[in-house]
Amino acid sequence: MSTFTANLIFSVLFVVFGATRGFLGNGDKFRRKVSVELNPGLTPPWVLPPGVGLVHVRGLGLNDTLHFLLCNAGAPALLMVHTNSTQSVVQVDWPSFINRSSAGSLKVEPQSSVQYSSALVFTRVWEYDDVNNTADPQQTAESSFYPPYELQNFLWSDLNETLDQSGLTVKLCGGERTESFLNGSLCLQFSAFESVGRDQPWPSLHHNANSSQLHVWLNGVTPRGNHSRFALEFQSVGDSGFQGRVDVHSSIDDEYTPSIFKVSQWVSSPVNQSGVWGYNQWKPVAYRKAVPVFEDATPCKHSQLVSMKRIPQSRLVQAYFTEHPQTHGLNISFGIDKDPVFYSDTKYISWTVLVGMGEPPADSFSTLIIIIITVGLGTPLVIIIVGGVFVWIRKRRSHSSGYEPIN
Amino acid sequence: MAERREYEGLLDEDEDDDGVPRHLFPLCDPTHLLHRILVLVFMCFLGFGSYFCYDNPAALQTQVIQDMSLNTASFMQLYAWYSWPNVVLCFLGGFLLDRVFGIRLGTIIFSLFVLLGQIIFAAGALANHFWLMNLGRFVFGIGGESLAVAQNTYAVNWFKGKELNLVFGLQLSMARVGSTVNMNVIGWVYGRIEAMLGSTGHTTLGITLMIAASTCLFSLICALILGFLDRRAEKILHKEQGRTGEVIKLTDVKDFPVSLWLIFIICVAYYVAIFPFIGLGQVFFIEKFAFTTVQARAINSIVYIISAPASPLLGFMVDRTGRNILWVMLAVITTLLSHMMLAFTFWNPWIAMCLLGLSYSLLACALWPMVAFVVPEHQLGTAYGFMQSIQNLGLALMSMAAGSILDLKGYLFLEVFFIACLCLALLAVVLLYLYNYYKEGELNLSASARASRIKSENGHQLRDGGPRHREQKPLLENKTKEPGLDSAFTHQDEMDLLERRSAEEEHQTSQTIMCLSDGGYELQNHQMVTDMENNITVNTHPLESTVLIIQHDWRDFLQTQDILEKRSPSPPSLSSDKMSTSI
Repeated sequence: MSTFTANLIFSVLFVVFGATRGFLGNGDKFRRKVSVELNPGLTPPWVLPPGVGLVHVRGLGLNDTLHFLLCNAGAPALLMVHTNSTQSVVQVDWPSFINRSSAGSLKVEPQSSVQYSSALVFTRVWEYDDVNNTADPQQTAESSFYPPYELQNFLWSDLNETLDQSGLTVKLCGGERTESFLNGSLCLQFSAFESVGRDQPWPSLHHNANSSQLHVWLNGVTPRGNHSRFALEFQSVGDSGFQGRVDVHSSIDDEYTPSIFKVSQWVSSPVNQSGVWGYNQWKPVAYRKAVPVFEDATPCKHSQLVSMKRIPQSRLVQAYFTEHPQTHGLNISFGIDKDPVFYSDTKYISWTVLVGMGEPPADSFSTLIIIIITVGLGTPLVIIIVGGVFVWIRKRRSHSSGYEPIN
Repeated sequence: MAERREYEGLLDEDEDDDGVPRHLFPLCDPTHLLHRILVLVFMCFLGFGSYFCYDNPAALQTQVIQDMSLNTASFMQLYAWYSWPNVVLCFLGGFLLDRVFGIRLGTIIFSLFVLLGQIIFAAGALANHFWLMNLGRFVFGIGGESLAVAQNTYAVNWFKGKELNLVFGLQLSMARVGSTVNMNVIGWVYGRIEAMLGSTGHTTLGITLMIAASTCLFSLICALILGFLDRRAEKILHKEQGRTGEVIKLTDVKDFPVSLWLIFIICVAYYVAIFPFIGLGQVFFIEKFAFTTVQARAINSIVYIISAPASPLLGFMVDRTGRNILWVMLAVITTLLSHMMLAFTFWNPWIAMCLLGLSYSLLACALWPMVAFVVPEHQLGTAYGFMQSIQNLGLALMSMAAGSILDLKGYLFLEVFFIACLCLALLAVVLLYLYNYYKEGELNLSASARASRIKSENGHQLRDGGPRHREQKPLLENKTKEPGLDSAFTHQDEMDLLERRSAEEEHQTSQTIMCLSDGGYELQNHQMVTDMENNITVNTHPLESTVLIIQHDWRDFLQTQDILEKRSPSPPSLSSDKMSTSI
């Protein structure tokens, strides 16, 4: 009997814990073995222009592989290819890649194993003079816009130095040869992940092994006006047969991004089917300092998704996508209506996006909150139950005694 | 003669002796209802300024943070500095008003502090010095809470007996009106100043706060007028200045029963989850629920708006049913539910905030009177003073903690923190219930059970009636010399009530019985003295008159409990805070 009770208790506890763990969304605990290489297969005499490189991050799963390719030849592009074999490799035909980047000069072999591929290209940085302080580039007149910075014309610092093999990150910093970028630069940091986790710095996006993170920031760039605000233009290139949309979800958890209760997701799903095959996920917040505190956060907005006619000027994308790829474009703008703080106040603005495949990861509560709630609600509940039993027992005992004291 | 005069107060329009001048206009006649209504108007507006200005930071949260370049933790210091002086002043307020300044001068001084504090606060914004703003709030805090005590003392002095509950209710409603008006109006004022000046910034903020200080000036004028009217009435009616009647003896703290300490924990843990939340609520609603600023301000003030009408109703209900602990438990659980709704769901926050308003009113009605049940009368002043003091201490600390939590971890974590505090309060309530059950205390009795318990206690008194008579006599005469908590309300022991009633019965004054529930204390006391002089015993009453006696006793007991609960925590304590006694 006692073993039966013990078994019952254990099974109940097991079920409860399993349920809570499922609720916590810890289901995506799978791991990948991630390796990073620079310019795979590049041998002299072929040489890339200074500061330009191709980073290949290979995430090996149990029965599939996820390739990330980051290249800043032309506009910086992040290409993600998912194959269902563990033996897939990236093959670059360097001569044609360097000279003309003709279609097909970059391949993932075996081509039949490629399940899904899409690319996120960072094309322009827009700057506009926000005279009315609306922080809405859609409503601002075209005349207020300064000529945009075309990232395909940027000069980048050496990739080799900023490649971190153990931390699985690589940083690209660069700018134009104009006076705006004399004291500052635009930087991108790409991070790959082996398993579930969260980055320390805000916005601490929750990632899993199927995602990678792109952190973009403008540091020290001289604004061309006192009321300048910035917007970033991104383009997404993918195979035909997929459609893209931007969803904005509400989230009750703002632990890691105080006062931000939304999550934006730019997802790509096949036409006529449900299910999300690839995503770009971000929180609509940008930070005005490198190590931000609560007040340094500023909301950011995204524009409508627009279909583009031409493929962006990125060698990587032009080399990879052979058959009529589709391009969509989106602007991310920073600031809020009547925001008294402009870019010129801190000369820093940063934004982070998570790029990955499959369903976008869902946020979950931190352990601390779970513990507080459990202990906080559990203790009075336990005492209520125990006390209730105690009171009930006493009442029964006093009833059964048969005597009512006459007082 | 003098003390009897005091007891008779201003109700006796039939008393024609001592030549109360009858040739005054009704409005100028201190005994006439119209004059007292005039005084009531000034009394209500006395606290308006401090309530209006107390929640200025909450209503202007975004502007203050932006214009003074603060983070939330620094912003919450504005509230913390208000609470700090009141940790000590709760003990001293009554003493200062009774012994040092007197009610009239004391009220004027405290109004001056309120005005000065708000001016310093505004000046700090104009000069862009945040430390000066904190200093302003500190000075404002010195005046604010004590002004509430003074307001109550005036009320008791002028309206003791008949309309006291109504007056307290009105004062409370005015307090709530002040807070609500502030929440909804000051933002608009800021917008107008901004339009005038063309930009935001600390100057705009400073000018807005200076305009808010005009309400404090208005309150000061009311205080001056009240002082004048009170002095005039005193000269005409030959009555004494009102006294708060509080006796604070810190050594009593060691005698506090366990129940009282549990009540303290409930009080602190509960209000910590209300007032800092309202202080930070506006931006929460804007960010999470995408409210506009105007909507966010409106929903933030709904707690006050609801508590104004709900408090008297809920107070009536709690009085009629008793069982205070269960009501407190219900209030805590409802607040817990409403915080959980706000934290973990996106449901319409109006539901949660209305629930919050109702449960907040319910708790105030049920919690504060419990102190009077567990503590003997001579310690009530100390108990309430201590309760307010630690409440202010808790609020000062937790306001700053809430600000820091928000800065580091966001709103969800802040809500979880509030939920944890409420769970602590719930734990304390449950323990209090069990302890009370175990000790067979009277905190959770129904109204009828309480009445029967009083009856049985009075029965004991009845049986040994003789000696008590002699005890009562000197007690009565000492009333005015020793400002016990009772003197203000002429509330003697329940035994006295019984004897008084029985004495009435003996004289077959059925009319006096009728107006008893309205508090014809004074008359009774008068009778009482006569009866005792005539050595009336109370042993020879038929059953039904005893029942009638009990009924009247109970009603009076309820009334005194009402008064006690309302006056204790300087009810319309400004700060919409702590003194939530604001029922």
